[in-house]
Amino acid sequence: MTETIQLGGAKETGFFPRLRTIIGRRTEGRGVILLLVILAVLAFTQPLVFTALPVTIGRIALIGIVALGLTAVILMGELDLSVASTLAASGVVVAIIPDLRIAIPAALLMGIVVGIINAFFIAIVGIASFIASLGMLFALSGLAFVLSNEVPVSIANQDAGLAFGQPLFGPVTPRILLFFLVFIAIQLFVTKVKAGREFFAVGGNRQAAYDSGIPVKRRIFTGFIISGFVSALAGVIYTLELTVATPTAGSTVLLASFAAAIIGGNYLKGGRGSIIGTLIGASSLGVLQVALFLSGVQVPVQNTLIGAILLIAVITDPSSLRAISARVRATLPDRTKVEAQ
Amino acid sequence: MDKKTTLTQQMAVAQEPEKAIVERKTGALSWVAQNGIFIFLAVLILVASFAVNGFASLENLTSILNRAAPIGIVAVGMTYVVISGNYLDLSVVAQVATAGVIFLAVGNEYGLFVAALAAFAASLVYGIVNGVAVGYFKANAVIVTLATTYIGLGLLRFFSGGSIFFGNPDGPMEQFGQAKLGPIPASTFVLLAITIVLSILLTRTNFGFLVKSFGVNEKATRLAGVNTDRVIVGAFLVTAFAATLAGFVFAAYSNTAVSTMSQGFDFRALAAIIIGGTSVFGGRGSVLRTLLGVMFVSVLNNILVLVGISFGYQQLALGIIILLAVTLDVLSRKLGEK
Repeated sequence: MTETIQLGGAKETGFFPRLRTIIGRRTEGRGVILLLVILAVLAFTQPLVFTALPVTIGRIALIGIVALGLTAVILMGELDLSVASTLAASGVVVAIIPDLRIAIPAALLMGIVVGIINAFFIAIVGIASFIASLGMLFALSGLAFVLSNEVPVSIANQDAGLAFGQPLFGPVTPRILLFFLVFIAIQLFVTKVKAGREFFAVGGNRQAAYDSGIPVKRRIFTGFIISGFVSALAGVIYTLELTVATPTAGSTVLLASFAAAIIGGNYLKGGRGSIIGTLIGASSLGVLQVALFLSGVQVPVQNTLIGAILLIAVITDPSSLRAISARVRATLPDRTKVEAQ
Repeated sequence: MDKKTTLTQQMAVAQEPEKAIVERKTGALSWVAQNGIFIFLAVLILVASFAVNGFASLENLTSILNRAAPIGIVAVGMTYVVISGNYLDLSVVAQVATAGVIFLAVGNEYGLFVAALAAFAASLVYGIVNGVAVGYFKANAVIVTLATTYIGLGLLRFFSGGSIFFGNPDGPMEQFGQAKLGPIPASTFVLLAITIVLSILLTRTNFGFLVKSFGVNEKATRLAGVNTDRVIVGAFLVTAFAATLAGFVFAAYSNTAVSTMSQGFDFRALAAIIIGGTSVFGGRGSVLRTLLGVMFVSVLNNILVLVGISFGYQQLALGIIILLAVTLDVLSRKLGEK
């Protein structure tokens, strides 16, 4: 077997066929469409959004940072529901330890430990990821309440917190800087590093990945550690910016981060997707939220809109569309037969 | 009879030998995973009645029953979604709150009958949206129901203005909420009735059989000619109807309703289902076991409250119990495969 197998479309030459192939392989289509639609509508109805760029980017960073970590897990076809309470618990950890030099590493370490525990139950014990991370979601939100004594905790070093909220240069606050660093790190990891590229293989066909020698279990550990670490980082950012940690923080993070990742075209069964897609998804949600804030729309209505977008995004997934079109096709011949009779 | 019965019989026959092999090989661990709930519950109640002050009093038991009823009704309904292998229905939170608010807000104005119609119409919408997205579009149930939760709660908060609704004093809701037979509240009878109905539906009808067989093997069920998508919609509808009933019971108990009233119902119901021995992989489980799981969760919660353990620890304990129960289920399955 020395013959190399040509993958679909690779034989195409010429600029436009090649372009079509490249576009056909990308998964971000729906995210781009949503972003363009939102931007087009806003250009007419709420042009203020474009002048409030720092606010908008800050909002995108807020939604996006957890979604980026989540994407690493979704690429492998797993879910990590525990991100929301990892964020809350790590935020509380930052607040209850007075010295920030100890508190921040401790909070980040907690995120890594959460990832390891998640991955242990998923990869070693063999529990479906949604249920293992659901248990962790519950346990960690309990932990956040326990550690904070069920009340919001202020951080001891208020000045450091206030300084953290200030722009470093131009409109770039530490939050935005960290978001882009995380984005670049994860993007490079899943596109250039072998371990990261193996995420796609693990998600696409786990058995095949295993058979070709990819350490599947270790990759699952890697993915959940990334996701745990990133959401802990988000918790640190939240607490430092607000200078106070609430055990209920991040209750809407779950919705927003999943929405960002799924709108960005990440296939929930794994194997397809991109970090850039998540960025696009987070951008469209962030712009939308800022616009809704500026228009004075209440938070529940915003959540309804984001929920609706998530619902539409998840049922317009290519595989969902295939499933439904197959059904529609299956019913059509029946009708024609009846009409013929 | 018709084609369906023969199909059902054939599938039952086909499953029989496999079941025997699994049962022979799994042994103790599997027995604990499936029937451990009987022992856990008995031990918990025994220990509590001796060691915990105030547990064995009549008022306390009545209060346990009162609190268990809404969660229990949600849990027995959601058992259908879990058995069908679709993980869970997070949107029960929104469904219970929607029903509760409708029963009080609409019920005060137009009477209970109109309120009941409106509430069940809402649950029909929930069930169909969830079911069609999961069944026909093959979308992930966790994400779909996460989305519908926020859509539903957002709409509810928008239309209710986030305010608390009180029932008319001595209105029908209040009367039902306070009704008792001896020490047993009326809501407990609703819980028992719905458990029996759903249990019969699951074990004695074609629909119940198809829900189970879909959970065991989705593809085989479809290839056998079953309209599996419709079965999924049915499972979500059962859950939605149960959640609406739970909203009624819950709103009647306190005679108040607000959009945040049912926070945590989804996880607590799921915990009850899993602890009851219904497998999250689908196909295996029963409504009656879920009832035991509900009692376990409620008694445990009650004990933790009586002992004075804070809310945080209660959540922590529930999370750990979910993980342990699922671990047990998985390990018993793994041993069964060997």
